Amino acid sequence: MTVKALYDYEFPSADRAEVFGDDQLVYVHWRGNPLFCSAACFRVPKNMPFAEFVTSMLHGWAASDPDFDPASVTDWRLFDEQLSGGQDKSLADLGIGHKALLSFAA
Amino acid sequence: MSVPTKKAASKPARKLPLKERYALLTRDLDWEPGYVDREQLFPHTRYEGIKIHDWDGWQDPFRLTVDAYYKYQVEKDKRLYAVLDGFAQSQGHLSLSDASYLNAIKLFIQGVTPLEYAAHRHFAYLARHLEGPAPRFAALCQSVDELRHCQTQIHTISNYNKYYGGFHSWSKMHDRVWYLSVPKSLFDDAMTAGPFEFLISISFSFEYLLTNLLFVPFMSGASFNGDMPTMSFGFSAQSDESRHMTLGLEAIKFLLEQDEGNVPIIQDWIDKWFWRAYRMSALVAGMMDYMLPKPVMSWREAFELYFEEQMLGGLFPDLEYYGIQPPRHVNDAIAEKDHLSHQVYKILHNFSFAAAFTTKTPDEAHMAWLAEQYPDSFDQVYRPVWEKHRKIEADGGRVFFQGLPQLCQVCQVPMAFTEPGNSAQISFRRSTFRDETFHTCSDGCQWIFEREPEKYVQAWLPVHQIYRGNCGGPTVPDVLAWYGIQEGDNGEYTGSPDQLAWAAWHSDGDDKAV
Repeated sequence: MTVKALYDYEFPSADRAEVFGDDQLVYVHWRGNPLFCSAACFRVPKNMPFAEFVTSMLHGWAASDPDFDPASVTDWRLFDEQLSGGQDKSLADLGIGHKALLSFAA
Repeated sequence: MSVPTKKAASKPARKLPLKERYALLTRDLDWEPGYVDREQLFPHTRYEGIKIHDWDGWQDPFRLTVDAYYKYQVEKDKRLYAVLDGFAQSQGHLSLSDASYLNAIKLFIQGVTPLEYAAHRHFAYLARHLEGPAPRFAALCQSVDELRHCQTQIHTISNYNKYYGGFHSWSKMHDRVWYLSVPKSLFDDAMTAGPFEFLISISFSFEYLLTNLLFVPFMSGASFNGDMPTMSFGFSAQSDESRHMTLGLEAIKFLLEQDEGNVPIIQDWIDKWFWRAYRMSALVAGMMDYMLPKPVMSWREAFELYFEEQMLGGLFPDLEYYGIQPPRHVNDAIAEKDHLSHQVYKILHNFSFAAAFTTKTPDEAHMAWLAEQYPDSFDQVYRPVWEKHRKIEADGGRVFFQGLPQLCQVCQVPMAFTEPGNSAQISFRRSTFRDETFHTCSDGCQWIFEREPEKYVQAWLPVHQIYRGNCGGPTVPDVLAWYGIQEGDNGEYTGSPDQLAWAAWHSDGDDKAV
């Protein structure tokens, strides 16, 4: 179904990928940790290596929980699938696109 | 014999019966257009697909006229302003249950008062664009009511602005701050729909289906916590609200009776707007269960009474006659009634560093009350998390979410809700539109998104806007400054300026602060 309107209803999406240039938005959910109400949202370069993303972005946020141990981060998933590929690869190379949802356990 | 002309002229005019006065002052002022056709005069009443065969079929149950309307409102205003003056002159704010109570009122003036103004604007539009004189006049009265509510709320609450944080920039905040995008975007959604959808969204779903859940908690909360002005405002608005509820019910019955083809369109709007308004009421749920020092009733109890009993038990069996079913996704709302308030207050507690109110971890007595109200969920799911917070705070810490949350594309609430029936699993829904991914928090919001994706892809999501650089800058202080949030408005209640001032005003032998 489309929007009923008196004119051609055609508008761009507010947060489409091109708006963010070489960056993109990525969401990260810490499974099973109810101290955080929801997943977090990050703006990151598409070419950032995954390992760098984890240390430079994720660790600071996850440390909101004083029990967070960076060494315990495991079982990464991209949406519902196991994340496969090396951590030295970039987000783009791992198939992590704009507004992708990652999750981990710790 | 002379004719006593003078005497006859000074004789008061015959007082007309109410029904006749109403007819002369409303329907009799209508006319058939002569030099344009009706479609040109009323260009917005056809494109939504609703068919109206007889606009005179609209019954106005109140038969209100302009002069009577203003007379009533002046009387009510006089009574309200007398209470406001008395409360201000006697330093009434000192007799509140606790300064933390005002967090609920901050949420009210930031979140609800601007909606009154938005409603005023849009009912004025309906007063121009609906085709029948009776619904136009009803919309005009409601437009004036909403403006009056906005003004009286500002006057009622402004007294607290002299003494407490968070009350100063509510209008700017409503347009900018992340949690206020929840009510703002709901009204923007309704105002950008056609006139009939607006009637179903605001007059029916908002003012009729959920009004008791949305407004009564604030007004009863005021009464329980010593806030006479807000309570008096509530009384002053009550007769207007009952008129608005009647308008909502009259609107839906009128539309359903006009044409059988209207029924599926209306059902669709009920399905959409129940869920939209219900999702916004989640903020009220968090307020009821966590922000009132003297709680009135739990969200669960209010939901059962005002929604399950009164609406599902009372209203919908009546609407079945027209072929209308209870809202789609209503069972999801019922399934989460033990969880909603806890999950929402968790969001506010995580993010109050970026809010114009403060939050605190519930103390032992409050948790005992919550456990009593929520025997199937609180001790099992939520108490252990609050206890972890308390432990961290005992060690001098305070957990805030050091980042930005993922938001639902439709309701704009952070994606904190769990799957119906599984409180350990966050509910993630994903849709793809024009090769772009969109996230929603529930089956209800996903259904709404997929019904009109062209509309919701335009959503002004506060988190994404911050990342796009549209909110004052990249750091938290930049964004807070752009929001209009001042130091001390936000964060943890314990140790906040409000809490410290309250303690000083109430300490024994110390009268200098008052």
